[in-house]
Amino acid sequence: MQSSKNVLSMNEKEFYLDFIQSTAKIGFWEVFLDSNTVIWSPETYKIHELPLSYKPSVKEGINFYKEGYSRDTISKAFKNCVEKHESYDVELQIITASGKEKWVRAIGKAQVNNGICFKVSGVFQDIDEKTKITTELARREQLLTKTFELSAVGTVTLDLKGKFLDANRSFCETFGYTKNELLALSFLDITHPNDKNKGKQAIMDMMNGKVNYFQTEKRYLGKNGRTIWAFISSTLIRDNNGQPLHFVTQINDISQIKRSTKKIVNLLDTTENQNKRLLNFAHIVSHNLRSHFSNLNMLLDLAKMEIPESTENEIYPLLKQAVDHLGETVDNLNEVASINTKKDIKLEPISLLPTINNIANSIAAQIIATNAKLSINVDDNITVMAIPAYLDSIILNFLTNAIKYKKPNDNPVIDINAEIKNNFVILKIRDYGMGIDLQKYGEKLFGMYKTFHKHKDSRGIGLFITKNQIEAIGGQVQVESEVNLGTTFIVKLKNYEKN
Amino acid sequence: MKKIDVACIIDDDPIFIYSVKKLMKLANFCESFMIFNNGQEAINNLTPILESGENMPNVILLDLNMPIMDGWEFLDEFTKIKAHKEVVIYVVSSSIDPQDKNRLKTYEAVSKFIIKPINVELLAKISEELIA
Repeated sequence: MQSSKNVLSMNEKEFYLDFIQSTAKIGFWEVFLDSNTVIWSPETYKIHELPLSYKPSVKEGINFYKEGYSRDTISKAFKNCVEKHESYDVELQIITASGKEKWVRAIGKAQVNNGICFKVSGVFQDIDEKTKITTELARREQLLTKTFELSAVGTVTLDLKGKFLDANRSFCETFGYTKNELLALSFLDITHPNDKNKGKQAIMDMMNGKVNYFQTEKRYLGKNGRTIWAFISSTLIRDNNGQPLHFVTQINDISQIKRSTKKIVNLLDTTENQNKRLLNFAHIVSHNLRSHFSNLNMLLDLAKMEIPESTENEIYPLLKQAVDHLGETVDNLNEVASINTKKDIKLEPISLLPTINNIANSIAAQIIATNAKLSINVDDNITVMAIPAYLDSIILNFLTNAIKYKKPNDNPVIDINAEIKNNFVILKIRDYGMGIDLQKYGEKLFGMYKTFHKHKDSRGIGLFITKNQIEAIGGQVQVESEVNLGTTFIVKLKNYEKN
Repeated sequence: MKKIDVACIIDDDPIFIYSVKKLMKLANFCESFMIFNNGQEAINNLTPILESGENMPNVILLDLNMPIMDGWEFLDEFTKIKAHKEVVIYVVSSSIDPQDKNRLKTYEAVSKFIIKPINVELLAKISEELIA
């Protein structure tokens, strides 16, 4: 009775054994080799998801292991245990009676008598949950490592003194150092001398817990001495007790952007300068060319009055014509220059239909002479935003063009219509004339001094000026044309919105 | 028809001066001419004339772009002379820069802006305006 206080009774032992088995998910098993009987503990049944009535055999027991690595491993281990008396302790997968995959730990030990194994007994433990967590952890760890290593952003970890602890590939590539070279250096070693103090305060603030991270733009030096402009973002990692551990710093190489920005700024300067020079040039053209032209013109007038006989030859009319053309060219150049150099253009609302009618009236003589048929289909409440002189010139040019480029033996037919679409007035001027080969001339159509017809009045400046005027008042122009079918000019002008 | 006594031309371009003089003669525009090649020369000579009131030009044809003293500076100086309102000023320039045109509007002394070239018809019109 004395011992009953210190030693567990058999009943008590059994109770604790069961308790351990079920809480730790550990089962026992025994294989008697001579009788080929297999005994499983209840927990072993449970792990296999089998009823206690099931009578297992060695072969069946092994067949519960997943085909392949798991089954091969256990077969070999069991065979070795029986034949060579080698114990085993393996972690393998089984497929339970219900078809579930499970990680188990199987331990086997040979019981030997006279050099012959008569029994193998072992432990069978369900380690599925634990294994899955471990696997998941490993997977995440790998993911993190890969993310760090393969990130396009240069990433490093630094100790609290700024020494490199780790550096990814991108960082090494940017700076030209190998990882091992970097591990012997500190962050300050590769910082541009002029930026060494930049961010010092921020690091102090992070250490003191005032801020969690900081970002800045800083210059560094590559191994080859090249300046690297970088946008950096740094975070302090702390342990569970809040003690600072190390920094994680990401670096974006923005040298290319910096260089591009510089180029753009330079380009802008150049463009501004060129624009100024162009403006100057426009004034010189305006003034000087016009002075010479006006002198020539006046001298010709004088010659005609003073020496009338000087005009009675072939040369005088040609000279006069040449001077007149010079005057026109100067006017055109001037027009183009003034459109392109005009600043602060003030647009005003102009009613479209009356403008078209006025222009049509102003060329009434031409319309009558060519027997032109003009059909105007424009709503009288359409109002555009424009400069009056420009709008007149635009419409006049398209109308006279449409008449000019009629088919040689036909009377000109011209349709004009307009509609409002997305706050723009779409004005279409369609003729049924000669048309233009857009495949051939499309790109040059609105160019300066381009003519496409051997027409006696073709000067090729009209469309160029017209396009410039349209664009100056915030519009656009397009053309549709087919040879022998006619041409449609589509002019997009700003719509006037009441209120 | 009554004729203009004195027409003053301020221009640095000899061909223009030659041509205008000829045209004026042909158009029977005026009795005599006063020619200056830049604003400074004009101011130097016109100041005593306007102060004395003798042989004053009735009209000045003024160029804008000139060396030494240009048309703008001339206008600034000229309008300081007391009797300047007795003279009609026509600006005659090759410039068709709208900025110049707008700037001229701020000069009360300038009657008109004429773009070169000048011809007999234009002279006749000026003459009409002056005499009317």
